[in-house]
Amino acid sequence: MGFILTTLIFLVIGIIACFCARICCNKGPSANLFHLTLVITATVCCWMMWAIVYLAQMNPLIVPILSEGE
Amino acid sequence: MAEHGGCFPPMDLFRSEPMHLVQVIIPIESARLTVSYLGDIGLIQFKDLNSEKSPFQRTYAGQIKRCAELARKLRFFKDQMSKADIKLSAKSEAKAEFNLDDLEVKLGDLEAELTEINGNNEKLQRSYNELVEYKLVLQKAGEFFKVAQSRAAAQQAEVSSEQAAEESLETPLLKDQESTTVDQGKQVKLGFLTGLVPKGRSMAFERILFRATRGNVFLRQSSVDEAVIDPSSGEKVEKNVFVVFFSGERAKSKILKICEAFGANRYPFAEDLSKQAQMIIEVSRRISELKTTIDAGLLHRANLLETIGQQYEQWSDLVRKEKSIYHTLNMLSIDVTKKCLVAEGWSPVFATQQIQDALKLATIDSKSQVGAIFQVLHTKELPPTYFRTNKFTESFQTIVDAYGVAKYQEANPGVYTVVTFPFLFAVMFGDWGHGICILLACLFLIFKEKKYSSQKLGDIMEMTFGGRYVILLMALFSIYTGLIYNEFFSVPFELFSPSAYACRDDACSEATTIGLIKTRDTYPFGVDPAWHGSRSELPFLNSLKMKMSILIGVAQMNLGIILSFFNALYFRNPVNVWFQFIPQMIFLNGLFGYLSLLIIVKWCTGSKADLYHVMIYMFLSPTDDLGENQLFANQKTVQLVLLLLSLIAVPWMLLPKPFILKAQHNSRHQGQSYTPLEGTEESLQVETAHDSHGHEEFEFSEVFVHQLIHTIEFVLGAVSNTASYLRLWALSLAHSELSTVFYEKVLLLAWGYNNVIILIIGGIVFIFATVGVLLVMETLSAFLHALRLHWVEFQNKFYEGDGYKFAPFSFALLGDEDE
Repeated sequence: MGFILTTLIFLVIGIIACFCARICCNKGPSANLFHLTLVITATVCCWMMWAIVYLAQMNPLIVPILSEGE
Repeated sequence: MAEHGGCFPPMDLFRSEPMHLVQVIIPIESARLTVSYLGDIGLIQFKDLNSEKSPFQRTYAGQIKRCAELARKLRFFKDQMSKADIKLSAKSEAKAEFNLDDLEVKLGDLEAELTEINGNNEKLQRSYNELVEYKLVLQKAGEFFKVAQSRAAAQQAEVSSEQAAEESLETPLLKDQESTTVDQGKQVKLGFLTGLVPKGRSMAFERILFRATRGNVFLRQSSVDEAVIDPSSGEKVEKNVFVVFFSGERAKSKILKICEAFGANRYPFAEDLSKQAQMIIEVSRRISELKTTIDAGLLHRANLLETIGQQYEQWSDLVRKEKSIYHTLNMLSIDVTKKCLVAEGWSPVFATQQIQDALKLATIDSKSQVGAIFQVLHTKELPPTYFRTNKFTESFQTIVDAYGVAKYQEANPGVYTVVTFPFLFAVMFGDWGHGICILLACLFLIFKEKKYSSQKLGDIMEMTFGGRYVILLMALFSIYTGLIYNEFFSVPFELFSPSAYACRDDACSEATTIGLIKTRDTYPFGVDPAWHGSRSELPFLNSLKMKMSILIGVAQMNLGIILSFFNALYFRNPVNVWFQFIPQMIFLNGLFGYLSLLIIVKWCTGSKADLYHVMIYMFLSPTDDLGENQLFANQKTVQLVLLLLSLIAVPWMLLPKPFILKAQHNSRHQGQSYTPLEGTEESLQVETAHDSHGHEEFEFSEVFVHQLIHTIEFVLGAVSNTASYLRLWALSLAHSELSTVFYEKVLLLAWGYNNVIILIIGGIVFIFATVGVLLVMETLSAFLHALRLHWVEFQNKFYEGDGYKFAPFSFALLGDEDE
């Protein structure tokens, strides 16, 4: 549940970023496509990293064993 | 254009600008002006049509010599100005249209004047120095004689009272003088010479004088307190005033020669006291006169140099421009019969209108009767690659170009590099505290952009400043990955929710043996803070980071292969699609895509399957039962299928393509003997295979070996490149460990002593270590490795990079060349 929710949040942030990019620098169709590509790539990279770290912790096989004198 | 697949909308920077070869025919009278205006636009790369001619045979060699002469004069002025410490004023915006001839005359006059002033100045300075030395001689030698005479008088009085004279250095002198004054019988006429000798050589001077004259001279030296400027060498030297007494002509000539050899300057000296006083007054007067003259001369020179300094930048720009214009004119071929010059060059298609406007303007301005003719040529040559970058994308494009300039119109990895390069850097750097430090540093650079871009910076500073936008993105992504790794100078924080782990029971008795358990939901953003400092931190993080590296690596390599698909579509190359792209995708994803899938499934299900075991036995014994390594139903079948597909993919990549290329080549040249001769007017034929470079030879063995190498590279590379991505894990581990060490063993240790001084020292050491090792060295290291991952692992899937860069004739780019 938390995974899907946060994925949706990433998606929404990505779409908002696309709109912001379109509003701030609207310089013709080819430039717009370029900015869109950048935003999408950045969103996908960030989401992927978050998702990997989240999935790895969902069903952990080892747990933290505190060190002495913690 | 019909030859290229236009199914996708165009994207800035994805493919290089379409270029065409243009031919411009310019009438001679407007040639210089035309080239000048074209240089202002800066969008044509002229081809050298006179490449067989030597530089001296070319049409405008004489003009270039003139420009070189002017440049020499300007360098001379600059030299003089720097010697006189006169600053060059900044370039004025006034665009005075200087004629080259006028400038030549003006610079010639200025040079003559300056040389004359310098010569006069030198002469005056020399006289001045000589006079100063003379004055010193007069003063010091005068003292000798005064002392000697007073002693002589005293001695006379003593001798007359028959008292033994004291042994002193004056004694022999006195005796001699005495003998001349008292004993008129023996008229030994002593001659003397006065002058200055450098202090360093005075001992040798004395010795050689003594030896040369067999001891029959008397030398008296007195050192001068401050160094005087030697008239001949112009440098300050410490000198001694000397008086040497001798008798006889032979001795005199020997002494003269010795003086000359030692560079001792001689000055006349009168014995008479009154004459001495007169001379001193005269010399002092002349010295003050000369001083005023010299000062006036220097002032005049300074004024002259000031006026030069104001116009220097303008002149130097002008000369550089003219020289480049004539170099360019030399590249055009001259059509003597038609009295015009023919220029050929590459230019982007979008610049056509601009160029035509410039040509019209030049025709009008030069009042020429005939206008220039502009036409587009068709050719099979490979055009240069031109990307229209802005200050943001320029640095990323430089990174890509450093490996190899993109071939004309192939997919530009720079588009994705803008994001993936800082991202991979950040994966290896992840610490949001360090990220903030770097962000502040580069924001400083960006705010001072205007100031720094006009200044001349040192090498390292120039590189750092040029890459400021890369560093900005690197810092932003580092903050993001730092939040995910949950490291702020290696300290984790519970930023998003309390940690998911808690003790099993209230007393926390088993926390250090069996460990905590997961009581709440997964920590929503990033690595749970409970892990830091625990004993099982490294096994967990290593597993996480290694798997992350593999997943990111497989994703990036897939992107690379997909870009090769786009290239194949664009260049209408179906062979590459069916016999390269598809088997490559099948091979890579069948093996490593499958591994990525297994990783994700294992994480989602929490199974205890051993993925190493699964992957290795997929190859060694694929038909065996999986047992407890089973992650999903029918896994064995799936694995068998994937294995078979991957095995088929290898000959699929290797064998069909060379044969198909051979068949294509044969079918193209079936009716070769009947086709007309190819001229440059033929329309551009797109070669469907990149391999045949326009030459009509086709070596089957060569193509086959090429394909074999390509296949082996891909197959072996699939394993090695995937493993290479593990450097993402390695560097991020190193960074985190270093950061932990500095924090725990320096800062916390200093804190533990409860002593302010130790705390301050500890703090300083911590700051230096963090900045030096983590912020500088680790940044460079992660930068380098991210670069390597892009250049090799990403780009070898699709990038050819054997194009050449568009180097237009542009005045704006001239300034960078010369410096």
